[in-house]
Amino acid sequence: MTALTNKDSRSTLKRIQSRLPPPLVALILAVLLFLIGGLLAPGFANVNQAVNIVRLAAFLGIIAAGQTLVIISGGEGIDLSVGALVTLGAILTYRITDGDEALILPALGVILLVGLLIGLLNGIGVALLRMPPLVITLGMAGVVTGLIYFVTRGQLIGDTPPAMGTLLSSALIGPIPGVVILWLLLGAGMWLLLERTQYGKQLFAVGINRTAARLSGVRVNLVVMLTYGLSGMLAAFGGFVLLGFTQTVFLNLGQPFLFPSIAAVVVGGTVLAGGKGSYWGTIAGALVLQVINSLLLALRVEEAFQLIILGVILLVLLTMYGRQRSVRQ
Amino acid sequence: MTSFRLTVEKAVKTYGGVTALADGNLDVQAGTVTALLGANGSGKSTLSKILTGVVSPNSGSITLNGAPMRFASPQAARQAGISAVYQELSLIPDLTVAENIWLAHEPLKNGFVSRTLMRQRTQSLLDLFAGLYNRHLTPDALITDLTPDERQLVEILKALSFDPRLIILDEATASLDGQQVNRLFELVTQWKANGMAIVMVSHRMEEIFRIADKASVLRNGRTVGERVIAETSERELVELMIEGAGALHRERAPLVDPANPVRLEVRGLKTSVLHGVDLTVRDGELLGLGGLQGQGQSDLLMALFGAIRSTGQMIVSGEARHFRHPRQAMAADVALVPGDRGSEGLLLIRSIFENLILPSWGSYGTPIRVARAREKGAVIAEELKMVMSSLDAPVNSLSGGNAQKVVIGKWLLRAPKLLLLNDPTKGIDVGAKAEFYSLLRQLRDRGTAILFYSSDDDELLGLCNRVLVMHDGRVSTELFGDRLTHEQLVSASMGTPS
Repeated sequence: MTALTNKDSRSTLKRIQSRLPPPLVALILAVLLFLIGGLLAPGFANVNQAVNIVRLAAFLGIIAAGQTLVIISGGEGIDLSVGALVTLGAILTYRITDGDEALILPALGVILLVGLLIGLLNGIGVALLRMPPLVITLGMAGVVTGLIYFVTRGQLIGDTPPAMGTLLSSALIGPIPGVVILWLLLGAGMWLLLERTQYGKQLFAVGINRTAARLSGVRVNLVVMLTYGLSGMLAAFGGFVLLGFTQTVFLNLGQPFLFPSIAAVVVGGTVLAGGKGSYWGTIAGALVLQVINSLLLALRVEEAFQLIILGVILLVLLTMYGRQRSVRQ
Repeated sequence: MTSFRLTVEKAVKTYGGVTALADGNLDVQAGTVTALLGANGSGKSTLSKILTGVVSPNSGSITLNGAPMRFASPQAARQAGISAVYQELSLIPDLTVAENIWLAHEPLKNGFVSRTLMRQRTQSLLDLFAGLYNRHLTPDALITDLTPDERQLVEILKALSFDPRLIILDEATASLDGQQVNRLFELVTQWKANGMAIVMVSHRMEEIFRIADKASVLRNGRTVGERVIAETSERELVELMIEGAGALHRERAPLVDPANPVRLEVRGLKTSVLHGVDLTVRDGELLGLGGLQGQGQSDLLMALFGAIRSTGQMIVSGEARHFRHPRQAMAADVALVPGDRGSEGLLLIRSIFENLILPSWGSYGTPIRVARAREKGAVIAEELKMVMSSLDAPVNSLSGGNAQKVVIGKWLLRAPKLLLLNDPTKGIDVGAKAEFYSLLRQLRDRGTAILFYSSDDDELLGLCNRVLVMHDGRVSTELFGDRLTHEQLVSASMGTPS
């Protein structure tokens, strides 16, 4: 009898899960948390706060774009070099432009290329040398950080062109900052890439079953290398965008974004085992994380409790999505 | 050693709706070598797994020394003195030889595992095959560094380390060389004299006649006879293994027109498993590939598709080719339906639609014209009469037969000129099989060249006008016309051309 009821309630839960896709669950959660925040901390739920949250979420969301691709590619795919590349992207832009607006685009070109190359090295390690993604990308993070220390000797020279702040961080159209518009454009681009290109379709296939993908003509190694390359490029681009907000650089600028970048992807319903997920999910995930963050700050919750609450919310969400084991079958 | 006698009577085992064993009987005694014989799918491995407690029968009785017995697990069978050497190796690659042999029954000293004892005992086991393996095979060598024959030896020694009273040798000689086989048989003779019981599952008639005392023959899940080896002949055993000669009704496939162009010509194809394969397939020909499982059929198809490395000559559509990636084979209008749907053919959690279009996304432009791709997908689903809720349903919601239609459908969408099939009807129901047969006939009549490996002899007899039988990585026999009979097929599979 007990077993039967148990089975019944489980199938109800499953039905809810299948009706509500994870990105939607995350989005609803973000809005709910925002409204609850208004009740708990009067003055929290207003337009200014909302704009601020979305703006901060945009930085995380852009940084997590490449992470989304890498996690979808499966094979224990994860990119731990994201933080280091964000820092590198920001520092290079800072140094190359040295405050000169005419140099913004050339600097952008350089950092995209550098990010792509470093990411490709990760990809070569994973695809051709068969190294675990965790190991190679962690090692790469160390190498990039070490190089930054070595070259700069901790002396960060340069400046941020004023236009970057205006275009990205301040209100651009009405109250909406440029970075949010950029984020939406990136969202559309990522959707096109994942759902409307051969690369995207093959990426999902590679994430689920590399043997079947190869036997269907997919060049698995190429897809994997390209994915890590794109991740590196998007992380460096995240650093570029972040500079518009911070206006200044420091040596561990990007590091605090590493774990949230993974959390945002997972909260958005992308399966850690690979082969299933979306960038819309990551967008919603970044919003959830940022709302929680801002809310806990507004409530003046101690940092220790902030971490605990964040951890519990992640666990609850993952349990709700939690069908990864059956996916592996 | 007290006398040992194990009897299995009327054992039945079904998997889902499929009966693997309908009436399995076996009588094993101390000091006797019993051979277990049967064609593919006759229930040999199910019966031997019942002996070792790996499979638990639905009904039937097992009697050990006169007392009824039921093995709940391999451990229970092992405690009763039964251990088995399997063909699919059960060793852990990253452990040493000694660790593997003594896994879960490590020699103890004062309650702790003694590595010294373990090494000594491993060495004395290895000494049984002294001089017949390379010097790097020591108790401390890692399994991953060993050659296949050495791994097989370790597997044998592992079974022996349990000091069994019944040892089951399931194709244990398949990867051994002649000298190693000789030594194994010497040992078997010794064990026999010491009162051990031996069951051997072998596909090599010659070995059975050399070492076995009696043979028990299975056909379609039933034990159909037991013969004393000294009083029987190869011919009698083969006849027992197949149904009454000529009783099988089948539609004679028309011979392919020799004027049809040659689609595929292969000369001296080699891989780690294949030792030089030659074959020719013409347009409109459904060429069968037969033989016992694991004789290189899968390797051959994978090599032709560029999925594994190979050497040798290959001419596709009149051009010398050497495919290094399935992509290149696809560009030459070759398609492969792999042997394992789940692990090689499908993206289980993705939709039927995405599975169907996976090999063809490139032909729908960038951005992908999804509506057009869907139309194509819907047409092929209709043509193959797929039973599904929608094209967007995940593939793992389908039955085996419908899932297989997805694997075939994705290639039909590309209209291949050469279709390679690796045992495509395995695990699908009778209705789906019949549909599949008529599909194959249609494709053949439309001029597609098809190379069709099947582990089901009846399929080959019913669909093909020519069958190549593989044995030990070679095409050992070509059967066509009057020589294409069930009897010939079985005896060619056993490596005894008659």
